Amino acid sequence: MSKSEDTESRTHDSSHDTKLMHIVAHTPRGKGILDCIQCGRCTSSCPMARQTSRYNPRRLMEMITIGLKEEVLSNTPWYCLSCFTCVDKCPQGADVGEVIFAIRNIAAREGHIPPGIKAQGGNIIDTGKISNPTKSILKQRQEMGLPEIEPSDTEELLKILRKTGFDKIIGHK
Amino acid sequence: MKYAFFIGCLVPARELSYEFAARKILPTLDVELVDMHGANCCAPFGIQSLDYISWLALATRNLCIAEEMGLDILALCSDCYESLLMTNTILKENSDIKGQVNEVLSEIGKEFKGEIEIKHMIDVLYEDVGPEKIKNAVVTPLTDLKVATQPGCHLVRPKMLHFGSVGGYDELDELVRATGAEVIDYDGKEICCGGPIRDTFDKYSRSLINQKIKAMKKANVDCAVTICPFCFLQLDLGQREIQTRFKEELNLPIFHFPELLSIALGFKLTDPQIRDHRISINHILEKYNGYEVSS
Amino acid sequence: MKDSKSVLVVGGGIAGIQASLDAADRGFKVYLVEKTPSIGGRMAQLDKTFPTMDCSICILAPKMAECYRHSNITLLTYSEVQDAKGSIGNFEVAVLKKARHVKEDKCVGCGICTEKCPVKVPNEFEMGLADRKAIYMPFPQAVPRLTTIDEENCLFFQKGTCRVCEKLCEAGAIDFDEKPEEIVLNVDAIILATGFDVFNPKAITAYGYGKYKNVITAMELERLICASGPTDGYILRPSDGKEPESVVFIQCVGSRDQRYNPYCSSICCKYAIKDAVLIREHHPEIDTYVFYIDLRAFGKGFQEFANRSKEEYGINYIRSNPGEIREDPITQDLTIWYEDTLTRTIKPLTVGLVVLCTASIPRPDNKKLSELIGVELDDLGFFRASHDIDHPVDLTVPGVYGCGFCLGPRVGDIPHSVMQAGAAVARMSEELAGMEEA
Ligand SMILES: Cc1cc2nc3c(=O)[nH]c(=O)nc-3n(C[C@H](O)[C@H](O)[C@H](O)COP(=O)(O)OP(=O)(O)OC[C@H]3O[C@@H](n4cnc5c(N)ncnc54)[C@H](O)[C@@H]3O)c2cc1C
Ligand code: SF4
Ligand code: SF4
Ligand code: SF4
Ligand code: SF4
Ligand code: SF4
Repeated sequence: MSKSEDTESRTHDSSHDTKLMHIVAHTPRGKGILDCIQCGRCTSSCPMARQTSRYNPRRLMEMITIGLKEEVLSNTPWYCLSCFTCVDKCPQGADVGEVIFAIRNIAAREGHIPPGIKAQGGNIIDTGKISNPTKSILKQRQEMGLPEIEPSDTEELLKILRKTGFDKIIGHK
Repeated sequence: MKYAFFIGCLVPARELSYEFAARKILPTLDVELVDMHGANCCAPFGIQSLDYISWLALATRNLCIAEEMGLDILALCSDCYESLLMTNTILKENSDIKGQVNEVLSEIGKEFKGEIEIKHMIDVLYEDVGPEKIKNAVVTPLTDLKVATQPGCHLVRPKMLHFGSVGGYDELDELVRATGAEVIDYDGKEICCGGPIRDTFDKYSRSLINQKIKAMKKANVDCAVTICPFCFLQLDLGQREIQTRFKEELNLPIFHFPELLSIALGFKLTDPQIRDHRISINHILEKYNGYEVSS
Repeated sequence: MKDSKSVLVVGGGIAGIQASLDAADRGFKVYLVEKTPSIGGRMAQLDKTFPTMDCSICILAPKMAECYRHSNITLLTYSEVQDAKGSIGNFEVAVLKKARHVKEDKCVGCGICTEKCPVKVPNEFEMGLADRKAIYMPFPQAVPRLTTIDEENCLFFQKGTCRVCEKLCEAGAIDFDEKPEEIVLNVDAIILATGFDVFNPKAITAYGYGKYKNVITAMELERLICASGPTDGYILRPSDGKEPESVVFIQCVGSRDQRYNPYCSSICCKYAIKDAVLIREHHPEIDTYVFYIDLRAFGKGFQEFANRSKEEYGINYIRSNPGEIREDPITQDLTIWYEDTLTRTIKPLTVGLVVLCTASIPRPDNKKLSELIGVELDDLGFFRASHDIDHPVDLTVPGVYGCGFCLGPRVGDIPHSVMQAGAAVARMSEELAGMEEA
């Protein structure tokens, strides 16, 4: 256990952002934070928490409540598999698996985005898809008699994504 | 039965055998697939993580295309399925959000009306076609084939969302049984394949694959069946990565469900389909006469 | 007060029994209607009771017997309310006495019929852990002390054969021709005491109740640890009849869960502590664990009891709410993955027996009674008090009162049920006396 973790629940120093919980609660998908009773059923069932002690969804909810913004917005939420096991189990409908998206949305606006996810965002703007076929795949499709892949209407998509501010979030030029 | 065929990005770019088998099998079971023109990425979980309204707007654009076609959507990929299903549900239930999304879409002259439903291929096979009809169509029963099914996450969870549609493991298992194969339970069947963190935390992604394949092997199955391109990629490609990296022989053949169904319905897998598999499936094809040497 | 005042009490658990005795002692003519063949309710099924750790039936049996003997109490067991009209001071209630096919005035409870009856069905009193016969006495201390033929399972009623019991009964008590009888009662007031049902944890599939034999409910455990229960008080696993090395209690199963019952059932933490202590007393070699969210050991002496259970009895408390139980198909041991939320450790625990402390839920009967009598139910399906603070035992129709768990999980234990019974009788007397003065 790190030093900061050791003292956090007792002290009220400047690293505690007491507004965090309210910001999360008002973010789409984030209102569950208000219902959590810290029962631990999510972590008890979470497949990711069994792989690494760095990830603990109940603890994440606790950290949001306490206002440990740094930890909450850093790489912690990106461990989640979005497998929604916790959502099925949560007795209070607090649904950590959903709240994670609220946190990630906030993190993204503050510039914390893992490179792989940022690349997905860039691909969508550029091609309308997150994964595109290689030349050899295109050849194989022909060989198998599969229909051609239509290009997406990237102009239309750019209109949408400019309107929502998506391009700015991922720093796309 | 006629559906707008939402093919997504991953399947046509990386899982050609899945697409090929689905395009072959579904029409023989009287499910007509109509390709969607101009569809974009479904906006899966990575995109949802970045921005809520952007996700909904991207996904809704696809829904609008299907609405214009006047058809419900059939998706092959569980990620596409859930992204579109969630979006469709949220917009139908929440007029405020619907208004916000429609305002964005007005930029391109589209509007969500809420006229269609979203189905996964498994929904359609179970509810529209039904295990009985499949059973009757089988010409090569896969007798004695012991199968582990990988339902994945997004077909079955969150339960609330899937209420009324397939929403369960039993339905997939029943469809697999309709081919004559035997479904074997294994530890951790409900657990995620690790796909979503493939790029971000590959170590844990691998350990999830490893645990799953080991549990399947412990249950003495001959092969595993997936219904999602990510699950397939993990269990097949991921398995090979583990084999080369840790010099461990696992060699558990992985099938897309429509491939297995193809064999049972008397079609043979073609050479390029077989090449899609990094873990050899040949011994199973031989046993069930499912291998076609290409000319 | 005139001594001709009368009251109908519905439900013969501890709350209804106490209300009947209190009212009868005050001179009321009491009709106690109980739908099962015997009065006693849940308390009759319990082994020891907190807070005193007295033998439950030892406290209850004398009260049951007193109900039977009391000259002011008429017991109507195996009976149900069919209709009700009128108002305070003048209710007319129709009660259906079901046919038990054993004459109350002849049967001496010798049990010969039961011994020889060929039909075996799951025993409700033993929570299905043992069998009973088609003609049976629900439990040895049953009041009234006579048998009942269960038509649904009796060979004679189903197939027209057998009649073995009739042939063997020396008292000539069997009467296959007995018909249900409707009795109309005129009463001044009504007290409802229908108690609670136990939530069926099958709904939570991940716990495997009904699928894994060694996952049981707390009510089942009460029968297992009871010396007069199906295992003579030994903790034996249903799967193989062997003693488990360790037992886990899981709290809040179906309680404090928005999808099932949002409320705290108010008794399960306390009885889990009690049962864990009883297990350690009987079998000090069995390790016991209690998985809790918040250990609600409120009330006089309970926190102290909880502390002692840790210190003196070595019970392990783990603050966690596990999400799933898995069974080893060979050993039938059960593995629980959990996060200890106090130490943040995540690990599996493998044990021999799991006890689910399931929610206490409203009886479905409440709905019918509310329609017949006109009293309201709350959102959960318990009887609504006319005012939760001012008049906590008055229901929403004047002259109708409630006591015990049918009022909801206020403090749903035995002492509080007894208190509420006294309160209901006091309120009834007060209101009826007020009417006379007016
Ligand atoms: C596992 C477990 C352990 C417990 N241990 C303890 C303990 O140690 N100490 C303690 O204080 N409390 C304990 N309790 C709580 C205790 O059981 C209750 O407080 C008590 O039983 C409540 O009594 P009651 O009369 O309200 O309800 P009940 O005991 O449920 O009695 C209700 C009666 O009404 C009858 N009835 C229902 N509907 C009708 C109808 N329509 N017509 C006629 N009759 C009807 C029923 O057949 C039943 O006989 C425990 C509970 C459980 C589940
Ligand atoms: S999110 Fe739900 S399951 Fe997790 S600790 Fe909170 S209440 Fe419990
Ligand atoms: S959705 Fe995320 S937090 Fe929830 S169980 Fe899956 S990995 Fe864990
Ligand atoms: S019915 Fe007859 S045989 Fe049976 S217990 Fe009563 S007296 Fe005995
Ligand atoms: S007649 Fe019915 S109750 Fe009597 S012995 Fe036969 S089966 Fe049992
Ligand atoms: S009494 Fe305890 S176990 Fe029962 S619901 Fe309340 S907190 Fe949960």
